[in-house]
Amino acid sequence: MSEQVESLIKKEYAAGFHSAIESDTLPPGLNEEVVRFISAKKEEPEWMLDWRLKAFRAWQEMEEPTWAHVHYPEIDFQAVSYFSAPKSMADKPKSLDEVDPELIATYEKLGIPLHEQEMLAGVAVDAVFDSVSVVTTFRAKLEEAGVIFCPISEAVHRCPELVQKYLGSVVPQKDNYYAALNSAVFSDGSFVYIPKGVRCPMELSTYFRINEMNTGQFERTLIIAEEGSHVSYLEGCTAPMRDENQLHAAVVELVALDNAQIKYSTVQNWYPGNAEGKGGIYNFVTKRGICHTNAKISWTQVETGSAVTWKYPSCILKGDNSVGEFYSVALTNNFQQADTGTKMIHLGKNTRSTIIAKGISAGQSNSAYRGLVRINPGADGARNFTQCDSLLIGDRCGAHTFPYIESKNPSAVIEHEATTSKVSDDQMFLCQQRGLDAEKAISMIVNGFCREVFKELPMEFAVEAGKLLEVSLEGSVG
Amino acid sequence: MTDFQHLALKLATTQRSPDWLKDLRERGATSWSSAKWPTRKTENWKYTPLAPLQSAAPARWASTAGNDWQNDIELMDLDATRLVFVNGQFSAEQSTALPAGVVRFADANADQRLLIEQKLGTVVDAERHLFAALSNAWANDGILIHVARGQSLAKPVYLLNVSTPEAEPAVSNQRVLIILEDGSHAEVIEHYVSADSEQNGFVNSLTEVVVGNNAKIEHYRVNLEQEDLLHVGGVHVNLHRDARFHGFTLAQGSRLKRIDYQVNHRGEGAHLELHGVYLPRNKQLIDYHTNVEHCVPHCTTNEVFRGIIGDSAKAVFNGRIHIHPKAQKTLAELSNKNLLTSPTAEIYTKPELEIYADDVRCAHGATISQLNETSLFYLQSRGVTRAEAISMLSFGFINELLNQVPQQAVQDYLRPRLTTLFGKGSELVGQLAYE
Repeated sequence: MSEQVESLIKKEYAAGFHSAIESDTLPPGLNEEVVRFISAKKEEPEWMLDWRLKAFRAWQEMEEPTWAHVHYPEIDFQAVSYFSAPKSMADKPKSLDEVDPELIATYEKLGIPLHEQEMLAGVAVDAVFDSVSVVTTFRAKLEEAGVIFCPISEAVHRCPELVQKYLGSVVPQKDNYYAALNSAVFSDGSFVYIPKGVRCPMELSTYFRINEMNTGQFERTLIIAEEGSHVSYLEGCTAPMRDENQLHAAVVELVALDNAQIKYSTVQNWYPGNAEGKGGIYNFVTKRGICHTNAKISWTQVETGSAVTWKYPSCILKGDNSVGEFYSVALTNNFQQADTGTKMIHLGKNTRSTIIAKGISAGQSNSAYRGLVRINPGADGARNFTQCDSLLIGDRCGAHTFPYIESKNPSAVIEHEATTSKVSDDQMFLCQQRGLDAEKAISMIVNGFCREVFKELPMEFAVEAGKLLEVSLEGSVG
Repeated sequence: MTDFQHLALKLATTQRSPDWLKDLRERGATSWSSAKWPTRKTENWKYTPLAPLQSAAPARWASTAGNDWQNDIELMDLDATRLVFVNGQFSAEQSTALPAGVVRFADANADQRLLIEQKLGTVVDAERHLFAALSNAWANDGILIHVARGQSLAKPVYLLNVSTPEAEPAVSNQRVLIILEDGSHAEVIEHYVSADSEQNGFVNSLTEVVVGNNAKIEHYRVNLEQEDLLHVGGVHVNLHRDARFHGFTLAQGSRLKRIDYQVNHRGEGAHLELHGVYLPRNKQLIDYHTNVEHCVPHCTTNEVFRGIIGDSAKAVFNGRIHIHPKAQKTLAELSNKNLLTSPTAEIYTKPELEIYADDVRCAHGATISQLNETSLFYLQSRGVTRAEAISMLSFGFINELLNQVPQQAVQDYLRPRLTTLFGKGSELVGQLAYE
C-alpha cells in the first residue's frame, strides 16, 4: 500500500497557478516611510495614519513569539514587500467589464461566483486580489437592508466614526507581534456593519488570494453586529503555487453587541508547500470576537493549507449569558505544521462556550491544539465543554494537545477531553470488505470524524470542505 | 544569576562532602548557575512564582534539632524499616536498624559507593529541572535503597522527613536513590511533616528510581508540612522492560510547593500507575508537574490526579504525556478532576499530549466543577445537614483514590486526617472507609 501512498502523495496542488498582472509593488523593507506610503496611497485621514504609526512603533519594540509548536526559518521582515496592488486599479474600473480580463480569468479558474454565478450562488463577493479590493458586488441589495459591506479602506472614508470606534477595540495594536505588524501595514480587508435588529439578507463572503511574488498580505477584517442583529460571514482562500515562503498576518475583529449573533466560517486552503516541505504560506492570524449581553459568536474553520499555521480564533464573553463556539478541523499533510486552537475568556455570568477541535495529521506533519479556557471570578455559572480529537495517519506525523484551563470561580463547570488514535484497522477492514478501496474508506472515516464540525458550516462550504479534505488526504493512506 | 542562585552556590561551598561526589556537585553547580531563573514567562513556572523563596532568602543549613518534635508528630503505623531525617539530616537514634541494601551514602561500602557514583544524577535531567541541578550541587548525603536481583525487601522502607522550626530561614537537601535490580520488589514511603507551625525553611528533595526488568515498586509520597515551609521536590523514574511503578502522592499546599514526577518508559511492557491528590487550603499553593516519556513500544500509563481547592488557595496541575516516534502500541491515559469550593480559589490545569507515533491510544480529560447540587440535595433530603453532606461528598471524591492505595497503613493514616480537613469528625471514617 505504501507505493500507492507515495504516488498519491505526489499529487500537485490543484489551485497552483500564477496570473501575470503588473503590480504597483513597493520594494521590500519596512520602516515608517512604508507605513506613511501605504496610508497616503489609500488617502487615509490623519487619525488613521497616527493609528498605524502607533502600531508600527509598538511592533518595533516587540519580539517574535516562539512558544508555538512550529519550526520555520527566521523571517526577515525587511525582505518582505508591504504593498502591492494590481496596476489596472489606477484607472478604476467602473464595472465588471472594465476589470482586467486576466483577473476575471483567475477568479473563474478558482470557480469564484463573481460574474453570472453571483446570482446563482446568492453570495455577495468582496474579492481581494492581493491588497486591493477590486470588485464589490451586491452592494445595493445589502444597502437596502442598511448593511454596510465594503473594503475597510473605503469604510475609513464612508463611516469613519464606526471605524474609529471599533478598530483595535478587540485586538489592540499591541496585542501581539503579528497583530501589531498588521495594524501598521494592513492593506485592505472587509468591513461589515449590521444595523440594529437586522438579519443580514444573505451570507457574506470574501475570497482572498495571495498573488504577487514575495508580498505579504495583511488583511484587516472588522465586523460589527449592532443589537439584535445577525450575520453569517464566510471566508475562503486558495493561493497560487510558489517556492518562496510567503508571509500572511491577518487580523479579524468581531463585535457582537447585545443579543447579536455572528457566525464566522473559514475554509483555508493556501499553498501548503510541496512534498519535500519546500515553500508554502506562513499564516499568522489573530482572530478575536467580543460578545456583549446575550450575544453569540461562532467560529468554524477548516484548515487544510499553509506550511505554518498559527491561529487562535477567540471569544471574549463579556456580557452575561453570552455564548462562544469554536468548531475546527485542522488537516496537515507532508511537512505542514499547524498550531491552532482557541481562547474562551469568560467574564460575564452564565456564559457558555463549546470547543470542538478535530486534528488530522498525515505524512510528516505536526498539528497541535492549543487552547485556553479562562473563567474569571465574576463569571458565575459559566460552562465550558471542550473536545479535542486527533487522528494520525502514518507513523511519521505528530499530534499534540496543549489545553490551558484556568478557573477562578467555584460555580463554573469545565470539561475537557482529548483523545488521539489512528484510523482503526477494524473500520478500514469493514469498509474494504464492503468493496471500498483504502482511499475511499479513509476519506469516509475522516469525513465522519469531522462531521460535528462540518455540520456547523454553511451549505456551500460544507461541500467544499468535504472535497478539500478528500484532495488533501489523497495518498496519505497507509 | 539571581540573589538566590548566588546564595545557594555559597551554601554549597560551606558544605562538607565526600570527594567521590565532587564531580556531580560541580556539574550541578554549573547547570544551576547557568540556568535562567524562572519567571512568569517560563512555561514550567508560569503559575508558580518563586518569590517566596527569594524573599525568604535562606542563608544557612538547617541544624539537627533535638528530639522534642516527637510529641507533635504521629507516625504511620506500620511494620517498616524506619529512617528518620530531621531537617534533612539522618537521625540514627530515631531510626530502626537498616537491612542490607539500605544505606546512607556516608556509610556505603565500596560496591555501593560505586553504584551511587554510577547512578546518582543519571535518572534526572538536571538541565531541564532547575532544582534537580541544585540538588546535585548540594549533594552530600542521602539514602541508597538497593534491592538485588530477584530479591524483595522484607519490610517497607519508611522515610520520615521532619522539619523543625529554626531561628532563621534555613535550607535542607533530601536525596534518595532507589535501585531495583531485575525481578526485585520494594515498597517505599516518603513522608514529609513539620513539627511546628513556625516554619520558615526551604526543602529541596529529589528521589531517583531505577526499576529494572520485571521489577516492581510501590512508592508513596505524602507531603503534609505546614504551610510556611517551602518545598520543591521531584520523583524521577526509569522503567525498564516489564517494570511496574505504582505511585501515590498526596499533598497539602504551602506558600511554595512544587512536586515534579518524571517517568521514562525505557523498556517494553512497562507500566506506570500514578495517583495523586492535592488539597490546598487558606492561601496555599500546590503545583504538580508530571511528565511521562514513552520512548519504547508496548508501554502503558494510567495517571489520575484529583484536587479540592478551598479558601484562597491556588492549584496548578500540568500532566504531560510524550509519545516518541518508536513508541507504537502505547496506551496512555490521564485524568485530572478538580473541585473548587470557594469563590477565591484558583485552579490552573494543563493536560498535555505530544504524540509522534500513530498506532497508539491516548486520552486525557480534565474537569473543574463544584459539588453536584443534586447529590447534596439527595443527602439533605435524607436528613444530613448541608455541611455534613459537603464533607461527605468531598471526602468521597478523594476516597476513591485512597481506597486503591495498596498499603493499608497509608490509608489508615490519611483517612482520619482528610475527614478532619473536610470539617467532619472521625465517625465518618468507619462508615466510608470500605464502601
